[in-house]
Order: sequence, then structure tokens, then C-alpha cells
Amino acid sequence: MRAMTRTIGAQLDRLRVAPEELVETGLVLLGRWLLRVVPGLLGVALFLGLWHLGHLSYGQFILPSPVQTLQAILRVLSSAEGWGLITATIARVAMALTTAVMVGVGLGLAAGYVTFLRRMFAPLATILLGMPATAWVILTMIWFGPSHGSIMFTITLVTTPMLYLGTVDAVLTRDRKLEDMAAAFGARAWQRFTRVALRQILATLAPVSGITLALGFKVAIMAELVANVAGLGGALARARANMDIDMALAYVALTVAALLAVEYGMIRPFQRRVGQWKRGGAL
Amino acid sequence: MSGLALVSINHVYNGRSVLRDVSLLTQPGEVVALVGPSGSGKSTLAAIAADVLTPDSGRILRSYRRHGMVFQQSRLLPWESARGNIAFPLVLDGMARADAFERAAEVAAAVALLPSDLEKMPDQLSGGMRARVAIARALAVAPDFLIFDEPFAALDPALRRRMQDLVIHLSATFEFGGLFITHDLTEAARIADRIAVLDRKGEGILGSLKPEGRPGTRSEAAIYAFVQHETATNPLLADLMNVDERALTYDDACDTSGPRRCC
Repeated sequence: MRAMTRTIGAQLDRLRVAPEELVETGLVLLGRWLLRVVPGLLGVALFLGLWHLGHLSYGQFILPSPVQTLQAILRVLSSAEGWGLITATIARVAMALTTAVMVGVGLGLAAGYVTFLRRMFAPLATILLGMPATAWVILTMIWFGPSHGSIMFTITLVTTPMLYLGTVDAVLTRDRKLEDMAAAFGARAWQRFTRVALRQILATLAPVSGITLALGFKVAIMAELVANVAGLGGALARARANMDIDMALAYVALTVAALLAVEYGMIRPFQRRVGQWKRGGAL
Repeated sequence: MSGLALVSINHVYNGRSVLRDVSLLTQPGEVVALVGPSGSGKSTLAAIAADVLTPDSGRILRSYRRHGMVFQQSRLLPWESARGNIAFPLVLDGMARADAFERAAEVAAAVALLPSDLEKMPDQLSGGMRARVAIARALAVAPDFLIFDEPFAALDPALRRRMQDLVIHLSATFEFGGLFITHDLTEAARIADRIAVLDRKGEGILGSLKPEGRPGTRSEAAIYAFVQHETATNPLLADLMNVDERALTYDDACDTSGPRRCC
């Protein structure tokens, strides 16, 4: 301990920073951190408080308390079946979104650069974007039956137009002057695309990716619920049939948690990596 | 040797002739300023000289090894630090990033950028610093010919003068020739060996002016006297001094980034 203190002391000497100054800086940083975190915590506390008030007003049968819901969540998480449901939904969303990214972004890039393709796909994208997700759920159930494939197909169909339009917009709104700059230094077309255009396109697409993920989860739950296929949505349908409000709320909370886990584990790091320069580090 | 010859360049955009039969020759090591009113096609000619744009007809003879270019508003990559921006053309050439960064630090020193400036992002740099980074980026490829497309137009007069001095100093140190696009006759008279005047409708080079002495040796008084005398007496400069922007049709206004992108 004494050796460690000596080492820290030696490092401080090297930095030539007075301990009082370090304390002051620490307090400033703590203050900033609190200012960033406390409003969010207050928001969560307000939400839980209102929830509990609702529980007190309407009773356990209509609205279980936050604690009862937490207990139901722990019951789901302590069973292999519960983890299976979560995994099934996340896997469906992941596979469907991978397909949607390949098709939507691929076609969007092509249409962004080729006016003919853009004009050809414009009506199709508008129709697909305007189609309610519920309509696709019903249609795919009729076409493919209540299956794993029909849910993935629905998620893909609903999210692809959004990624397509986002990509087209990203291509069209990029700063072409930067590509001219690269050309002046001898960059070939492929280099201009990969080193200049793609960076801008990905940065513009970053917020779209978060919205698409959220939409993917919503559609997955809805499709699983309607089709009654294994997954969080299917479990939600069973809880509703059994009037098990504790479990219904637990599955809703788990859906939100799964969405947040994917968003903060994958989407946010992606957004930070490709788009932070555009938002001045706001992420 | 570091010369450039643009011979009978014609360029049409959207059915409108932007440049017609424009020929311009720069001697080895000579810095030529190209002046002309807005919309005359100066930037289009610079883009053609830099191989950004292919003319509809005409010949381009480059008797230099490599050119660099400094643009209006710097055109720095917003996701790269100053160091990354300076190293960008070297990375395009296939140089290892570490080597490119080392070279970037060398040229940054030549334009008086501090090592601490190199870690800054473009939005953390002032206009003058961004101009320095853009010049360093152009110098990174060790060019023997530099093309400047109104690089200091957005800077305030004092800063613009400092940047002009920097270009004069670098031109003498690195011995590059160049083409300097500007609409400011005083800037042209400070920086260039010779001043070529482009027709206001891009219909050829009207003629050339040659201020006495070499850039860097002319006094402010001499530059002022030259500009006053030429603007008052030289008919070549009539359009440059008296052009009415309202007389320019919409088609004459060159838009470099919009749907009517022509230069």
C-alpha cells in the first residue's frame, strides 16, 4: 500500500499537478457525470412511481406492481425455456435484419448512383413503406402459414424499404466536393467510393439503423403474437390467453431489454464508429 | 519540368458552353494566376487541369511529375484529424499509414502547424488553420505543380495575406510551378509571376499581365500601384472590375455541388 502511494506520488510529481488541483478536477468531472446521469435516473424513477400509483389504483389483476413484474422477469430468466424464447426472437430479428441490410442497402446504393434504378424503384418503395406491418403479418400467414419463415419474411419486408430509402438519401446527400478532392489527388472511382463516399453514407445511415432495429423488434413481437410461434411474442399471446398479467408485463419488459441489449451492444458502437464525426460526439 | 499546357479546351455542360477554345500555358516553375469574374469558368478550368473533370475536347499536356491541389473552403475530410487529412493522398497512393503520418508531420511543420494541431479534427480548427492543413495536404505528395482554386476566398483580409505569404514562401522553398485561381487582382499580383485573364463567358484567355519582379520581392506599394494602374487603364480587366452579377444568367452561375454540378 505504501509502495503504491509512493508510486502515485512520484507520478504526480512528474505531472507537476498539485493534489488540490486534482481534487478540484475530480469534483468537476463528478459534477458533470451527475448532471448527465441524474436526469435519466429521475425519469426512470418517475416512470416507476406512476406505474406503482397505477397499480395501487387498479389492483394487481389489472396492473401488477414493478416489484411483482421484476419477480416474474426473474422467473422467466431462471428457466431454460425463457432464454429459449428470448433467443428465438433475437435470432429472427438478427437474420431478418441481415437480409434487409443486404437487400435494402445494396439496392439503395445502386439506386443512389443510377437515376434509372432510383426512378424504377421509387413507386415500389413508396408502396412497401406505406403497407401496414399488420397487413404483411396476415398475408404472410396466409401464404406461408404460422411459421418461423413467415415472421422473418414479414420483418424483412417491413424494414427493407426503410433501409433502401435511407441509403438512397445518404448517397444523394453526400458531399461530392470531397470526392472531387480525392480525384484531384489521383483517387480512382473505387477509392473515392470506399474512402470518401462510403464513410458519409454510413454516417447518414447510422441513425436509420437504430430505428430499423426497433421496428424489427416491434414487428417480430407482433408477428409472433399473431402467428403464435415460439418467441417472446408467442409467450405474450399465451399470457394474454391465460390472463396472466404478471407474465405478460414480464415479456414486454424482456422485449424492451432485448432491444436495448442489441442496441447498446451493437448498434450504438456502430453508430459511434461511423457517425460520431457528424454529430460532434453527441452519441 | 513543372509546366502545364491546356490547349483549345472546350467544355459544355447541360447544353451550355462553359469553356470555349481556352488555351493556357505555364512555363516551368512559373506561378500563373488566372483571374476572371464569377461564372467565367475559372474553377472548371482548374478542375480540368487537376484531372477532376474531363473536357469535351482539347489537349492537356502535363510536363510535371505530380500535382497537388488546394481547394476553396479547404475540403477536409470531417472524420479525419488534421494529421489524417494531410496523410490522405499518401494513403491513397498505398503508403503505410504510419509512414504517411510521419510524412504528414514533416509537411505540417513546413506550413507552421504545431504537433498539437495535428490531432485536432477539422471542426476544431479555425479557417486559417484549415487552409494550412489543406496546403500541407497538397504538399504531402511532394508535387512539382500546385493548383489553387480560390483557396483563401473565405478568409478575412489579414489572414488571407498571411496565407498568400505562406504560398509565396513555399513556392520559393519547394520550387513548384502552379496555377492560382482567384478573382482578386491584388492577390494575383502578390502571388503570381504572371496573371492570365479569362473571358467572362469562358471564351478564351483575353491576355496576360506581368507585374514587375518576382513574387515575394514586390513591395506592397508596388502591388497597389500595379493594381490601380491596370484596373484604371487596361481594357482586359474591364469585365473583372465591372461585371454585374445580375447580368449573369442562371446558366452562367457555376454550381459545383448541386444538381447542375459543372466544375
